[in-house]
Amino acid sequence: MLRNYFKTAFRTLVRHLNYTIINVAGLTVGIAVCMMIFVIIQYQTSFDTYHANRSRVYRVLTEHRSSDAANIPFSKDVPFPLPNALKTSFPQIEKVTPIFASNNDQILVTDENGKTLQQFIEPKGVFFTEPSFFELFDFPLLAGTYTSLQEPNNVLLSKATAEKYFGDWHLALNKTIKIQVGGYVFEHGTEVLKVSGILENPPANTDFQFKALVAYGTGFTGSLMNKSIDWNDRTNQGFSCFVRLPEQTAASGINKELATYAAKVQSADNKDVYQLQALADVHYDTQAGNFSNTAISKQLINVLWVIAAFILLIACVNFINLSTAQAVNRAKEVGVRKVLGSNKSRLQIQFIVETFLVVLFAVILAIILTVLTLPYINQLLNLSLSLQIVDRVQTLLFLLAITISVTVLAGFYAALVLSRFNPIEALKSRFKVNSGKGLSLRRGLVVFQFIIAQALIIGTLVIVKQMNFFMNAPLGFQKEAVVNIPFRVDSLRISRLDYLRGKLMSIKGVEGVSFSSNTPVEDGADNWTSFRFNNATKESDYKVITKFTDDQYLSTYHLQLVAGRNLKPSGYTQEFVVNESFVRSLGIKNPEDVLRKKVSIWNGLINCEVVGVVKDFNNRSFRDQVAPLVMTTNNTMYNQAGIQLTATNIPATLAAVKALFSETIPDFVFEYKFLDEKVDGFYRSEMQLAQLYQLFAIIAIFLSCLGLYGLASFMAAQRVKEVGIRKVLGASTGNIIYLFTKEFILLIGIAFAIATPLAWYYMHQWLQDYAYRIEIVWWLPLIGGIGALVIALLTISFQAVKAAVAKPVKSLRTE
Amino acid sequence: MIKITDLEKFYRTEEVETIALNKLSMEVKEGEFVAVMGPSGCGKSTLLNILGMLDDADAGSFVFNGIEVSKFNERKRADIRKHNIGFVFQSFNLIDELTVYENVELPLIYTGVKASERKEKVEKVLDKMQIMHRRNHYPQQLSGGQQQRVAVARAVVNNPKLILADEPTGNLDSSNGNEVMELLTDLNEQGTTIIMVTHSEHDARFSHRIIRMLDGQTVTENILV
Ligand SMILES: Nc1ncnc2c1ncn2[C@@H]1O[C@H](COP(=O)(O)OP(=O)(O)OP(=O)(O)O)[C@@H](O)[C@H]1O
Ligand SMILES: [Mg+2]
Repeated sequence: MLRNYFKTAFRTLVRHLNYTIINVAGLTVGIAVCMMIFVIIQYQTSFDTYHANRSRVYRVLTEHRSSDAANIPFSKDVPFPLPNALKTSFPQIEKVTPIFASNNDQILVTDENGKTLQQFIEPKGVFFTEPSFFELFDFPLLAGTYTSLQEPNNVLLSKATAEKYFGDWHLALNKTIKIQVGGYVFEHGTEVLKVSGILENPPANTDFQFKALVAYGTGFTGSLMNKSIDWNDRTNQGFSCFVRLPEQTAASGINKELATYAAKVQSADNKDVYQLQALADVHYDTQAGNFSNTAISKQLINVLWVIAAFILLIACVNFINLSTAQAVNRAKEVGVRKVLGSNKSRLQIQFIVETFLVVLFAVILAIILTVLTLPYINQLLNLSLSLQIVDRVQTLLFLLAITISVTVLAGFYAALVLSRFNPIEALKSRFKVNSGKGLSLRRGLVVFQFIIAQALIIGTLVIVKQMNFFMNAPLGFQKEAVVNIPFRVDSLRISRLDYLRGKLMSIKGVEGVSFSSNTPVEDGADNWTSFRFNNATKESDYKVITKFTDDQYLSTYHLQLVAGRNLKPSGYTQEFVVNESFVRSLGIKNPEDVLRKKVSIWNGLINCEVVGVVKDFNNRSFRDQVAPLVMTTNNTMYNQAGIQLTATNIPATLAAVKALFSETIPDFVFEYKFLDEKVDGFYRSEMQLAQLYQLFAIIAIFLSCLGLYGLASFMAAQRVKEVGIRKVLGASTGNIIYLFTKEFILLIGIAFAIATPLAWYYMHQWLQDYAYRIEIVWWLPLIGGIGALVIALLTISFQAVKAAVAKPVKSLRTE
Repeated sequence: MIKITDLEKFYRTEEVETIALNKLSMEVKEGEFVAVMGPSGCGKSTLLNILGMLDDADAGSFVFNGIEVSKFNERKRADIRKHNIGFVFQSFNLIDELTVYENVELPLIYTGVKASERKEKVEKVLDKMQIMHRRNHYPQQLSGGQQQRVAVARAVVNNPKLILADEPTGNLDSSNGNEVMELLTDLNEQGTTIIMVTHSEHDARFSHRIIRMLDGQTVTENILV
């Protein structure tokens, strides 16, 4: 019985091969997109879920209450005294693990005599922590012991890192490496570390992408961080704390106690509080972020789901449209079957079996397609997806669910329509493609498809335009042909800065050199401080950015003074230049009025006069408004050189610069970054979103057009005779093409009218995240609509032209 | 009005080559009513299609109103066709999705007649064919005779000089058939040239002249008037 169904179904599919191919192709792409999104989401939701204690692990977040200049109410950074305070004052917390994540560390691999063999720079992945780290998180050890991290100057390397440094990880154990921690906050030297263990490489789905775990207590982490009792210290970037609670302990109780505790230990003007955040929420917290910049918002995950569902729906719509249209053609066959005694349900089963076969085939092809395109998606989204990560059972269930739901969605309606045919009518073949309810549903579905496709196109256009704005809008300073070369602060280097500058300036192609703590624009890597203006008694209730810059900063980055003068050359801090926003934030109109007034920052540590005001430039990403800024000299704070190059022959100039750096500063890993690339990097997530939207828009329009193509070819087949008659009566080719396209133009027009406000609203909301943003001009949606229309018309025209140019006698003969 | 000389038409299929018209020559004067008869497959419809410029001949000359049209391209032929020739088919060839009125209006739309003028013309011809009361019906809702009257109305709405009719009564019973024949005779009397293919001697007697064909050639002519 069932065999018979399958045999008949197979024959039917082969006989209508054209439609079968269109159906399978559409469903394949739709299902593949779904599967891809499923894999991405499964990957994203698997982060740090494999730790045995995951439900009891929390991260401590700082809720910044005293300030909002930084616009970040929550951050993952905590004051240095916090871990010890939790250990001593909160006995109900089982484990407290401080983690300091440094960055841009230089690693020196030395021989027995301490001679440097190899140098590495680790932008990320060096964590200073305690053995309790492994009582919170599961990272298997290959050699050595976890407890060795109790002793300062011990380090556990990941297998990959050990292999990178020593060739074979077996050789790494008990070897020594030297580390010079990056960053500028601490005056620190080189630490000698002993490799006391090797860890299995962290899996891709953990936010702890460590390369080396150094014992907390080594170097400044022991001498400074672990000893600190200063809750107001603002220099804590990268310092986090995780805790493990006993079973059945709620975080909320501890949060309450923490608030009371913080109020007790902190000075009156420090209102910051601390909160426990469940490990399960960490990966989705895009605001506080994580150590590897992989946080993804729940909202984005939902958007992905919605897009997956829509794409699948579009594919199903194609199937429904084509099948019901075809059903008309098959009316006769159905009629015969009915007359021969086949009942309704038999016909329905027959049709469902056909659908099932198509879907099954599409699912198989979709799996192949997914496997083939996964590397591309990885590259696009900067992920490391693999089908190994994927939970097999879940994936199988997902595929099964897809197969069933698509079969039901796509097959059921068509089955109903088909079996409802009246046998007499069907035998007379009186059915026309555009008669009755079938058409209005089909029209509705086409409109639905094009709403999605056009909304995605409009969304893409808006994102792309905003991206162009990010890349090209003037920032108020020079970012082209500027390279930044980071270096580490120590007294030796400080002593050579002037020599270095002189030498650099003598290189052909170098136009300007400036040493500073930051580039003009940073995405979160700035120093913020509250301040007192003009000997005010109270500190400001907002923070300003502090940049330490030499006197060449303005000229190197082409910043303009609007009042006063530039900083005088100095190695010390003796005067301030501020920006217009700073002046405005004080409620002062005339920049001249702040000149010669005193500003004190860092709790009075620095207290100098303002000597100049610079024109506002974008010192933060376009997400945020220009922040108030103070700039001052201090050569112990410089950690990078900004070099303005002439636009020609940059490689040669860079080679000379590199040679100079290596010669002047020993044990130095030369690295450079073009400022414009760094700025572009701020918008990487937007860039990915733009690419993702583009991809989905293309797929949606492709699928919709595939459906249109099928419908048009079906229409053409149905209307051969009508076209013939019309031509006999004098219709031109243009008339016939219009006949075919006018309905679709109308449908796409309706879709456009619905898609535009939807897309506009959604994209308008999206743009609100950016302080600097484009306007959605009226012609932007129009371009999207016209684009979709043109593509659709080209698709239909292929069939329409074929029908239109055929000789009328040919079509009339079919009678 | 029409003069064809040594007209040839072949159909090639994979296995066989059919000679549908074999060096056929004939002439039709303005105002004539000509019937074309002959056994099935002798090339009558082929001839009519070529005369109606729906198809082109493989060889020979075709002069229409003093112009040699056999070398004309599709667009030029379509242009002559829509202004000069009306068609009536055995199977009516009405468009099912359009009403009677819309079917008749179609040739006027394609020749670019203004909307106001169209209404007048369509109503006049529907009146004449006595199907005015059916103007908003769809073809399926009409009897065969009524459908053919709509088809004739559509063929003449543009005032063509020539009407080509391929077995116009083939699908009709005798009384409906006679009605259509009378319509054609009326039109002829008002000056329209008519070439009609038919299997019926009865119908053929409405014409002035009968051309008999066999194997793609004319064999005899009977002059009736
Ligand atoms: N498109 C075609 N392809 C191949 N052969 C064709 C084609 N059209 C006509 N023929 C052949 O050409 C010959 C003439 O056909 P035509 O239709 O002109 O005949 P007819 O005289 O109108 O016949 P009937 O009285 O049956 O309508 C026939 O042998 C037919 O089989
Ligand atoms: Mg014929």
